[in-house]
Amino acid sequence: MKVVISGLGVVMPGAWGWDEAESLFSAADPKPVDIDRSAGYHREGGSRKALLVDSGRMGEWLSPMAARRMSQASRFAVCASLMAFHDAGLKPQSEEGTTAVVMGTTYGAAFVTEKILRQILLEGPESVSPALFTESVANAPAAQIALAVGAKGANTTVTQRQASVIAALKQGVGLLMRGVADRVLVGVVDEMAPLLHSILDRFGGLARPEHNGAEVGRPFDDRGSGWMGADGAAVTLLEPEDIVRRRGGSFRARVLGAGMAFDPGAPRSGWGTVPGPRAKALRAFLVENAGSPRVIDRVVCSAGGLPEADRLEARMIREVLGDGSLPPVLAPAASVGNHGAALLAGSVLAAAGATFGPTPGFGVPDREAGIIPHDGRTLPAPETVLMTVCAPGGSAGWALMARGLEV
Amino acid sequence: MTQQEKTRERLKKLIIESLNLEGMTPEMIENDAPLFGDGLGLDSVDALELVVALEKEFSIRIEGEETTREAFASVSAMAAFIDGLNE
Amino acid sequence: MKVVITGIGAVSGFGWGVEKLWRGLESGATSIREPSVFDVEGQRTTLVAEVGPPGPDAQAEIDDLRNLSRADVFAVIAAREALVRAGVDAGGPRTGVFCGGSTAGMAECEDFVGRIVGVHPGKPTLRLLASQQLNGPGDAVARDIGACGPVIGFSSACASGAMALGAALEAVRSGDVDMALAGGADSLCRLTYSGFNALRSVDPGVCRPFRRDRQGLSLGEGAGMLVLEPLDRAVARGAEPLAELAGYGASCDAHHMTAPHPEGDGALAAMKAALMDAGLESLDVGAVNAHGTGTPHNDQSESCALRRLLGERSLEVPLTAPKGALGHVLGAAGALEAVASVLALECGTIFPTAGSTPADPDFGIDLVLDEGREMFRGKQTWISTNFAFGGANAALVIRGLV
Repeated sequence: MKVVISGLGVVMPGAWGWDEAESLFSAADPKPVDIDRSAGYHREGGSRKALLVDSGRMGEWLSPMAARRMSQASRFAVCASLMAFHDAGLKPQSEEGTTAVVMGTTYGAAFVTEKILRQILLEGPESVSPALFTESVANAPAAQIALAVGAKGANTTVTQRQASVIAALKQGVGLLMRGVADRVLVGVVDEMAPLLHSILDRFGGLARPEHNGAEVGRPFDDRGSGWMGADGAAVTLLEPEDIVRRRGGSFRARVLGAGMAFDPGAPRSGWGTVPGPRAKALRAFLVENAGSPRVIDRVVCSAGGLPEADRLEARMIREVLGDGSLPPVLAPAASVGNHGAALLAGSVLAAAGATFGPTPGFGVPDREAGIIPHDGRTLPAPETVLMTVCAPGGSAGWALMARGLEV
Repeated sequence: MTQQEKTRERLKKLIIESLNLEGMTPEMIENDAPLFGDGLGLDSVDALELVVALEKEFSIRIEGEETTREAFASVSAMAAFIDGLNE
Repeated sequence: MKVVITGIGAVSGFGWGVEKLWRGLESGATSIREPSVFDVEGQRTTLVAEVGPPGPDAQAEIDDLRNLSRADVFAVIAAREALVRAGVDAGGPRTGVFCGGSTAGMAECEDFVGRIVGVHPGKPTLRLLASQQLNGPGDAVARDIGACGPVIGFSSACASGAMALGAALEAVRSGDVDMALAGGADSLCRLTYSGFNALRSVDPGVCRPFRRDRQGLSLGEGAGMLVLEPLDRAVARGAEPLAELAGYGASCDAHHMTAPHPEGDGALAAMKAALMDAGLESLDVGAVNAHGTGTPHNDQSESCALRRLLGERSLEVPLTAPKGALGHVLGAAGALEAVASVLALECGTIFPTAGSTPADPDFGIDLVLDEGREMFRGKQTWISTNFAFGGANAALVIRGLV
């Protein structure tokens, strides 16, 4: 069975939907905003900015009454799912057959968790809001999606940090291959709450203010000092190709396979410096699913400007694809921040042949990483896109996508 | 304004705020309209949410499901219940 | 391909290890009690199935793991026990880890936030957050055993553990891995305890699954870990399989964020899917390891789904509800309860549900009580059910290997 992506929904900083995402990656001009520091969590001199979704646009997809009990994450996820159906030319609640949902999240319900903890700590357990608690579970977005689109098939939430997007793809493809769903919404969602932002900053994970006060995610760049914290969601609708063709529909991209690996030697909250087991697993995956690493003509990676992470991912890519002959490497996190939605949306758009501008934030190559990300020159549409992610703690994942039908 | 009128106003604002009824104003909630099922269409989680909000706002303790069901039937019923407790 | 369970490990309110788990379950006792360590100050209810301190031998082993969160420690210790039982050195690129959980390092995170807002003593050190992420326990196991294959955390509230087992089953069947450590781990934390109390879902006493006077669930903590491998590989290396993980099915109610579908539509769909996946039908079900939380809604809709599944046989198929003994261990539930099913198959006994009151007669189920029930040959197929917050449902089919 061939699996295709018949629709994509995107709720990202600076982009709602396919067209805006295309423009955003082409213009490559991210616009960070100040994160709310009024609670006093943030440290002096630390990161103060993030790339945040314009949630004012929610009304185009979800009424305030329908959304009233939803967390940010649930709202983003539901909107992105409705968009994915729309992009595929399908109607939620009305399609025959079984719809399943597989969502991934790195940080879960950050805002709600913070609120509930404050209620317990500052007011006492009896002050906990029941409605908030129902949204505090990592699977709340997947559950809300199921309600919104009438998805009665399997409903799974994976939590493997930044590699969640690959875990979700793997699980979603599996559901189709086993014939237990007729279509699967596969996506990823994350929030960027002030407490979470301040914690990531304390861990040294976020881009620090530069001399002019700007904070920039600089993948593979010598000046890189951390990620841009960001929120957002991307949801794909996966279907068997013959089902889509039979209804005269179109698809954005093909999914050729997904795989994951783990390096038990990596530090618990870091990446380590040795790509070893991860590179080996990636090579084995490519040999099995693509025939050879040489087939890859585009890479979409998760690098976002955190040196330790970028270097490890770069070394892994270079070890497998060969130093001298790397295909163009895209780093969508530079445009929309570090989260799975950036990688998922970036990969689908890349596979569909969208134009990507020069990588924002990149200018001075980090020699230890040794990758020069895409500089904006015109490229032919790729045949085979490799999506990669390396998460802190040792998980890594990858997926292969190919071009869809011309829309 | 009578005590009951004041309480009803407070309650309407509280309902809108604690249940996140965006776009609603107090004027849109009728005193005797059913809050649950038909009418405003609130559900069991909303009921629990209101209990927490009311306990905080009026410094009372609300126990018992039957009490809640009767007392929460409408804004008027709620106001009578609250004012009754505070007597 | 048959996928078998060759090792099991557990941490529960009855103690550390599967032996303590089985002794507790078969005696009909409950581990739900007043806590010694967990703080229930200001809570509406006070009982929990808390994991007590380990014996002195185990304490040294646990002290070595001091940098991990409580949930991580449960997972690692359970995984080690499972591997010892399986008699194998797992690890390497052909071993995967699939772990469910809903809290991970939340208890430690609560302390961190408490310190940040000035309510807890001490500085908010980042070390408290090192294992906060939901993938913490699974990663801890993977590091401990040297797994290099896929490592995936699942967080779907009460169905997480079963989902992890389902994913592991699929990974072994498809040849993605040759061996999987699968299970779940959760530790008590105030967020969850307060939250369920805010929903008025917690029984002030010990929970009473399927009883007429039930009032809610009881929360617990712990971990269950299982070693899964293809039958022929297990046999080839001289292992003794304990049971077969024969099938997995999942569905979603898409009905309400907290209340299950009243007639159990989604629950029924998940059970049917699991049986179909196992190549079986409802006639083959020999025993039910129910989700049975003790909430008015769940037990009502679950028994309805079971009656629809089993038809006329519903009063003949023995049903046991381990949450009366173990409490609801949330993300670990599906896994810990699967371990219980395996133990039941090993010992040939369907363990009783804690408490002596019979089931609500309107439910039409055969609730096993008192001394338990003998498990007959030819009737050794368990269906284990797990229904989550938000309507996600998962069911497992576990069979004896005779």
